[in-house]
Amino acid sequence: MTDATVTPAIRAERLRAGLKRRYAREGRFRLYGLLAIGVAVGFLLLLLGRIIEQGHTAFYTHTVTVPVYMDPARVDRAYPQGTNFELLVAEQQLARLGVVDDAQSSKATEMRGLFSSELKFASAARIQNNPNLIGQTVPIAAPVSDDADLYFKGEVSRATPADQRRLSDEQIAWLDRMKASGLVTAHFNSGLFTRGDSTEPELAGVLGAVVGSALMLLVTAFVAIPLGVGAALYLEEFAPRGRITDLIEVNINNLAAVPSIIYGLLGLALFINWMHLPRASPLVGGLVLALMALPTIIIATRSSLKAVPPSIREAALAMGASKTQTVFHHTLPLAMPGVMTGAIISMAHALGETAPLLLIGMVSFIPGIPHSFGEPTGALPSLIYIWENASERAFHERTAAAILVLLAFMIVMNAAAIFLRRRFERRW
Amino acid sequence: MKFNIFRAPDGVEGGAPAGPPVIAAPPVVHSSGPVGPTKIAARDVSVFYNGKQALYDVSLDIPDKTVTALIGPSGCGKSTFLRTMNRMNDTIPGAKVIGRIEIDGEDINAKAVDPVLLRARVGMVFQKPNPFPKTIFENVAYGPRIHGLATSKSELESVVEASLKRAGLWEEVADRLHSPGTGLSGGQQQRLVIARAIAVEPEVILMDEPCSALDPIATAKIEELIDELRERYCIVIVTHSMAQAARVSQRTSFFHLGRLIETGDTEDIFTNPRERRTLDYITGRFG
Repeated sequence: MTDATVTPAIRAERLRAGLKRRYAREGRFRLYGLLAIGVAVGFLLLLLGRIIEQGHTAFYTHTVTVPVYMDPARVDRAYPQGTNFELLVAEQQLARLGVVDDAQSSKATEMRGLFSSELKFASAARIQNNPNLIGQTVPIAAPVSDDADLYFKGEVSRATPADQRRLSDEQIAWLDRMKASGLVTAHFNSGLFTRGDSTEPELAGVLGAVVGSALMLLVTAFVAIPLGVGAALYLEEFAPRGRITDLIEVNINNLAAVPSIIYGLLGLALFINWMHLPRASPLVGGLVLALMALPTIIIATRSSLKAVPPSIREAALAMGASKTQTVFHHTLPLAMPGVMTGAIISMAHALGETAPLLLIGMVSFIPGIPHSFGEPTGALPSLIYIWENASERAFHERTAAAILVLLAFMIVMNAAAIFLRRRFERRW
Repeated sequence: MKFNIFRAPDGVEGGAPAGPPVIAAPPVVHSSGPVGPTKIAARDVSVFYNGKQALYDVSLDIPDKTVTALIGPSGCGKSTFLRTMNRMNDTIPGAKVIGRIEIDGEDINAKAVDPVLLRARVGMVFQKPNPFPKTIFENVAYGPRIHGLATSKSELESVVEASLKRAGLWEEVADRLHSPGTGLSGGQQQRLVIARAIAVEPEVILMDEPCSALDPIATAKIEELIDELRERYCIVIVTHSMAQAARVSQRTSFFHLGRLIETGDTEDIFTNPRERRTLDYITGRFG
């Protein structure tokens, strides 16, 4: 033993030095933690900032209100939809602006390009409802075309070389004159939330995708949560321990790590090709996402069941509660917050999942708004994917807007789930 | 591990005798005056956990309307023996009980006996107070509810009140029956758990070191309560405290290394132990 050489003074000195190192280490560790959080928050803000910066312009749009003279010679009384209102309006606008068209009507074509096709449908609808309007001048309101909208939003300017923009100098001049005469109004883009998808950006909305996603998640929640919780309860509380249970456990853990596109393939083969469920429907989408969510829910439920204090189980069993009563009266209610957390995470994950949707036909152009679980529908992530790939520039801001809608959807869903979880929370 | 939390009671890991082999001698039974008719009769009860023997051929008669203390050092099998009497060992995977245990002459391990019904007859109080994370009322009402003993709300209320009164807790909680049972102090929680156990009118109450987590004042209250409950129930208490065994029990059984060594009237055991090991233990020479 060398203890004899260590005097109390040396001991005290060593302790002090050690203490100093310890505090320094702790300080460094805290700093790393702060840095990590700082980087994470920074990236998050960057991401959100970029999306908001790109997407905020999609939330307002411009509408033009043009007086249309319902020329009896041009408007088809019996079948107003067949009337070429676009050309009619374009010619009238040209005349109002004092522009003389050439033989090929190229000016009229350019003028038509400033209005959305909604102008035609709105006009036809007015005549259909009231044929007596023929011969009168009727103000018709319709969104401006996507290019015109971008010009009004300042994203296309005269300074851009003419061959790099889709609007000619003349079109820009007309837009300026229409705006000056008060025909053009800027307003909240409610169409973004009330319309389904469209090939024309100014008429495209997210409602179809939002409803599709909601229906899909309903299916997912109703399939995955009861099934997952039930499986976890059985495995954790009832199943005999042994090789088979271990094998199942390992496989569930592996399934949680399987790439989602594989689940898409499985869904395609199982639900569409074999069970002949309707392609691209919320039913199939929800079932595929449920398959994907199951392992996560099972794992989360099992670990929260494991965390329930054993004393509670013993208390219930010693009171003469059966195993099932113990589980449903005590264990499961106490595990509920953890179960809900698992369910929230997997639902949020399912909401944003795109890859499996690719394979079951959800990434196709579906303009309608679904009313049932069997209709083809889009979903928010697939809509984002489609819009991102669209060539029209106006879809760019709408892509960002759709991402914001997806995030908002997720926040609302999670808030509701957390509210529910709070109500289940109990202390022991 | 399944039910990993339902680990074997204390000392089971080292439960198998590790020291020199103990010769299986029959326990010393003090001749005692009549305490009460025999309620529980154990005959050659052995318990194995995953093949390891934790209890060796215990035979013991436990009288009714009496407090019987089981004492002995950690790992001696006293908790294991206690748990054979309400078949709580059934809930531990890998546990096996052999031998015969009779309550009122009926074999409780018989196929016809449902452990759920048995546990309604044999209540249990644990070392750590374990009220349910529910209200005080719900805690006490739980047993009558699951066993369908109270048919109306008023009946249930009177059962709850009577049980809390008998557990000596009524005065303290009467005005907050609907606040959580987990909000009570440790001693109150333990009395709540006792109230919960007696709400189903059991015949036997098993107590596994009920005071080891409590302070002396709370302990005194529980001991007082045990003394009162003796008049109605057959009580078996496992305790590490010699003083407690001496205070609350009329009969004492000393366990060592999974065997019952000596059993008899408490007074006899403490004043006149006939086994060397008993003497060593109660005088604090080991354990």
